[in-house]
Amino acid sequence: MATVKLTNVKKVYGKNVVAVQNFNLEIADKEFIVFVGPSGCGKSTTLRMIAGLEDITDGTVEINGKVVNDLQPKDRNIAMVFQNYALYPHLTVFENMAFALRLLRVPQEMTNESTGKTTYVYSKLSQDEIYKRVTEAAEILGISDLLLRRPRELSGGQRQRVAIGRAMVRDSQVFLMDEPLSNLDAKLRNQMRAEIILLRKKIDTTFIYVTHDQTEAMTLGDRIVIMKDGFIQQVGTPTEVFDMPANLFVAEFIGAPKMNTVPATLVRNGDGYSVEVFGVTLPVEGDKGDQLLQKGVESQSITLGVRPEHMTLTNRNNPYAIPCTLQVNEMMGSELHLHVLAADGTPLIVRVPTVQLTAQQVSSLVAGVRIYVTFQSKVMHFFGSESQLNLLAEQSKEANAASEPQQEQTDEAAKGTASQQWYHN
Amino acid sequence: MTEQETSQQILDFDVDFNAAAANVEIDPPDPNFTQTEQTEFRKRFVDVPRPVSRLVGQRVTNRIANTVIYIVLSIMCIVWLLPFFGIVFESFRCESTGLEGYIFPKKWGFDNYVRLFTDPTSNFLRWFGNTLAMGLITSVVQTAFQLAVSYALSRNRFKGRKFLMNMMLVFGMFPGFLTLILLYTLLSDWNLTMTNAPWGLILIYIASSGMGYYIAKGFFDTISHSLDEAARVDGATQMQIFFKIILPLSKPIVIYTILMGFMAPWGDFVMATFMANNTNNGYNVAAGLQWLLTDSMINDYYTTFCAGGVLVAIPITILFMLLQKYYVAGVTGGAVKG
Repeated sequence: MATVKLTNVKKVYGKNVVAVQNFNLEIADKEFIVFVGPSGCGKSTTLRMIAGLEDITDGTVEINGKVVNDLQPKDRNIAMVFQNYALYPHLTVFENMAFALRLLRVPQEMTNESTGKTTYVYSKLSQDEIYKRVTEAAEILGISDLLLRRPRELSGGQRQRVAIGRAMVRDSQVFLMDEPLSNLDAKLRNQMRAEIILLRKKIDTTFIYVTHDQTEAMTLGDRIVIMKDGFIQQVGTPTEVFDMPANLFVAEFIGAPKMNTVPATLVRNGDGYSVEVFGVTLPVEGDKGDQLLQKGVESQSITLGVRPEHMTLTNRNNPYAIPCTLQVNEMMGSELHLHVLAADGTPLIVRVPTVQLTAQQVSSLVAGVRIYVTFQSKVMHFFGSESQLNLLAEQSKEANAASEPQQEQTDEAAKGTASQQWYHN
Repeated sequence: MTEQETSQQILDFDVDFNAAAANVEIDPPDPNFTQTEQTEFRKRFVDVPRPVSRLVGQRVTNRIANTVIYIVLSIMCIVWLLPFFGIVFESFRCESTGLEGYIFPKKWGFDNYVRLFTDPTSNFLRWFGNTLAMGLITSVVQTAFQLAVSYALSRNRFKGRKFLMNMMLVFGMFPGFLTLILLYTLLSDWNLTMTNAPWGLILIYIASSGMGYYIAKGFFDTISHSLDEAARVDGATQMQIFFKIILPLSKPIVIYTILMGFMAPWGDFVMATFMANNTNNGYNVAAGLQWLLTDSMINDYYTTFCAGGVLVAIPITILFMLLQKYYVAGVTGGAVKG
């Protein structure tokens, strides 16, 4: 129902604590956008600026092509779900959901017949209309039988539903969600995540969703905005950010367990490439090799990234085997997370599906055993050891700008998180 | 539905999950590795120093401590309750009206209570009326002011907010009667002393009501800001947020504030005496009853004073008992700040 456009948005707390800057993003109609990043990265601040709960220091926020910088939240036609639900404790579920509707004044165009002038008359919604809207939303969310209860009589999941319902009844252009699942226990979170995906199909409006959980980001988002220290690190579809992370930060942030990163050397031999890591030389072939060649990458020291699930166990006869000592074996049921130390002491994580191993092999994987791991060139990620940027990714202007002042910004961003709490003091 | 079913794509995968199994090789544990792991573990969790065992058993120390505590508490109880019971007993004394060296009356009766209302000198009804009026008016207006100030200080961020709060706290440290003479001169210009002292006192109580902001502010601080924000997104104005969201959630503190405002005039002695300036009709109960204890009166009116004291205590006691749970919630509510 609405597009959202942020141009050079910047947020400064106090005098010089920068929480968000250089924020440029166009959100398409009915898109599901997820802001994700570690705490203090400015994702919530950005959402609150779109909602109108924080002043915008610089730049513009447009909703449906209209600049809303100076509009009150109620005039932006947005709905928001808060992390702690923010249900009104003294009102029943019905009244909670009806609260906004009771305050709503609907403009109606009136024409004076004698003068021909048109004026607007603002009228309340009728009781019937309010009842209809609330019960309809309750129906969709499956909370019809809870309407007369108070929030404290509800479970966490039910409260979450009411909070979503309260936002739903308003038929808003943009649906904002600020870490809506982080107060739920792990099982309920998974369930609600699936329900949000279903809900989204029913509501069919523009969603902006903030989370620190990369799983939520990956599963929910049409596009993911990964932020760090107030800067956008990468914007892309889940597949894009997973397969082609723009820099080392994104690579380590997306995916669990996090990507293994080790210092390595990229060697160019004419048109061929190879990587030297842990004293083993691995050839870079196929697509990755072609891409490196296309980019004209020269020999250099790099940070090599390989995801735990892309590593495989092998035997010592494999010429590309990297010998490791097993430190911890985490049995996850369907898979093993093996925390190993490479010969030079670098910690690595290897994720092995248990179906690939015999029962005897699984039981022999105890701390201290020596195992051999390897990986193929198609799963390698190459990052400049200085710039930390992906050597193969198309670098957008923002990403470049973001990587440059990163070091100076870290302190300020840390202060930024402290200053966000200032308001709640 | 059928359309979807027919157009449904079928994906076939042919994966041999066991293919890798044969090729994996696992060597036996490295003896050095496990050895170092174990010593590390022992160092951290097994070989830590243990606490020295106690010389005397836990039970004995508990009993001694409890005995001491109960003795001290009992003494404090007696010291604290004695004057209270003294006044109640003496108010029923009929054989004499002045000070005596004993507490238990020799002859019991309600003479003093009757005298309190019938004796032309005592004027107790007027004092009681004065105080009640002050209590009612003060409690209402003071609550409105105090909640408004507290809410503004809790929710709004403006220049000089911290300074203002600190200043009010510092000024609150000074005893109220420092400004006594100045206030008297000021109020007497407006003819709000002597007989009109209750009105002057109401003005004084109300004027300083914002200074008692900290308890209510502490309470408002505990109400999550996201409630305000949710209401703002829902379209509520500041006024609507205060009246529709915050106030209904603040019942304990509203009642606490009303109670405090109502009680202040009953206990105010210094201000009330000074403002009334020896005008009998302008006294509140505290000042009036004290007047009964002046040198020329005490021999005739001491027991009447006791009866008055008991009567004053009754409404406040009842009020307190009824509203006790709110009072406690109000005082402690601000204490646990999130």
